[in-house]
Amino acid sequence: MIRFLILFGFAYLFLHLHLTGDISKYINMRYGYLSFLMIFIIGFMAVYQLVKWNMEGSKQHHTSEKALFGHDHSHENNTWWKKTVTYVLVIFPILTGLFLPVATLDSNIVRAKGFHFAEIDNDKDQYANHQILKPDTSQYYESSTYKKMLRQDMEKYSQLNQLDLNDDNYLRALEAIYNYPGNFTNKHISIMGFVYHGDALQKNQLFLFRFGIIHCIADAGVFGLMVQFPHAVTYKDDTWIRAQGTLSETYYSPFKQTIPVLKVNAWHQVQKPKSPYAYRKY
Amino acid sequence: MFTDSFLQLNTIFISIIIEAVPFIIIGVFISAIIQMFVSEALLARIIPKNRFGSVVFGTCMGSLFPACECGIVPITERLVRKKVPLQAAIAFMLAGPIINPVVLFATYIAFGSSWQMVFYRAGLAFAVSIAVGLLVSYLFPEDQLRDYVDKKVSHYHHHEANQPARRITFFDRFKGTMDHAVDEFFSVGKYLVFGALIAAAMQTYIKQSVLLSFANTPVTAILIMMVLAFIMSLCSEADAFVASSFRSMFPPGPLTAFLVFGAMVDIKNLIMMLSTFKKKFVAALIGCIFVCVFVGALLISGGWL
Repeated sequence: MIRFLILFGFAYLFLHLHLTGDISKYINMRYGYLSFLMIFIIGFMAVYQLVKWNMEGSKQHHTSEKALFGHDHSHENNTWWKKTVTYVLVIFPILTGLFLPVATLDSNIVRAKGFHFAEIDNDKDQYANHQILKPDTSQYYESSTYKKMLRQDMEKYSQLNQLDLNDDNYLRALEAIYNYPGNFTNKHISIMGFVYHGDALQKNQLFLFRFGIIHCIADAGVFGLMVQFPHAVTYKDDTWIRAQGTLSETYYSPFKQTIPVLKVNAWHQVQKPKSPYAYRKY
Repeated sequence: MFTDSFLQLNTIFISIIIEAVPFIIIGVFISAIIQMFVSEALLARIIPKNRFGSVVFGTCMGSLFPACECGIVPITERLVRKKVPLQAAIAFMLAGPIINPVVLFATYIAFGSSWQMVFYRAGLAFAVSIAVGLLVSYLFPEDQLRDYVDKKVSHYHHHEANQPARRITFFDRFKGTMDHAVDEFFSVGKYLVFGALIAAAMQTYIKQSVLLSFANTPVTAILIMMVLAFIMSLCSEADAFVASSFRSMFPPGPLTAFLVFGAMVDIKNLIMMLSTFKKKFVAALIGCIFVCVFVGALLISGGWL
């Protein structure tokens, strides 16, 4: 019976996450179909357990089946406390998944994941990509196709005088900016992200980041722009800000190179968006 | 009541669970199907008798299975029970998560459509599986471990020799498969939960930047990347993308170490291996893998490969 409940719990957890849409706060929806399938497969396993339990009562081992096949069930769940440990452990994610609020990755994780400015130095490797600031989807295309796409993106995004970084174009447009910063100089750009104070920043500078997700939250990385305000600001880490301004470049000493910087002329604090992450699309 | 960092830990934990459960389910069903439909006699017939042959065979079998490192442990345990030689099963377990089309394609894509890392990764994985398989076969006499695995199965009745009068219908087999899959889901599931919990805690509380600051010689860089791979416990399908983000910091040697070691040993599958094999055996196994990956990565770093 307890097995039925646990299996049912897992199926319900997946169902719940899909229905509320919270699943997108855990994994890239590109892989959503896998967890969606789990609702049915685990659900089926649960129903199977229920039917079996009904037909056989609480008898653990069905004798005819035991005679038919090598019976090696329950090989380690033989004592009551081992069983208890198993069930408690397996129930744990169901409970915390259903009842604890979904947290959003924030600057704590940026720090833990090692926002290691100091080591980033691509002098020795011209092809090095700075995943941390600059999304590099060269990963997804053959190099010639990739270059063509980059150029197309660049043309597409730099054509207009105004570029808004939103959920859909966030990673690709940022990539175009990092690859062809010259083409975006003096363009108007708007970006939304959470505040992160990196090393060696002036009082009027900070980073605006969003987490980009490949597969699941465990492999998230941060992407964004350095922004520079006309005067010193005192925003705390993790404050969400929408800012717009014109793009230029500045030398950033921890990177030992120039990076794009957004000279902001208008900005305001905003609520954390409903979908705080940017997802990789192939 | 709960601190922010605990909630973030929980979020990472749940995300690892959600990511891994589909692969665990695939793993337990494959394992159950092997249990129900593949006989020991068949396996005994197709697996080469000699040591080297069986290790190579195990590695090649692993290449055919698109399983990731957590899904493969239950399959491996099943194979050992089905009297597959231990060294072949271990080679299978090590090669499976790395040498398969899905993972290699992800690696190819992640490294800017270059074959170099794919070549290093597959090559080193292949070499390590064979080397470790052979080492295991010399270090651990077959019977010793088999006793252990068999003993765990306290009432393992072996009835396949005397077939019962009633014919085994497809329905019986289906029922058997379901039973095995459910049982295995529980026995593997608890280790997944435990491993994912530790991995999530490590990701939340350990500062990778501190670790990385030690990585300034080839030797320490390789060691650090192996530790990192162990801690992060990424699925072998996703780890290439994370590894490629370290490209600006590390040459191919340490990256290959990350990609090979992480897919063979990490926190969640270590816990799962401990449930299947003797502690001493797991320790020796990880020691062998560690040394082999380290040496291989060093050779790549040194430009000898």
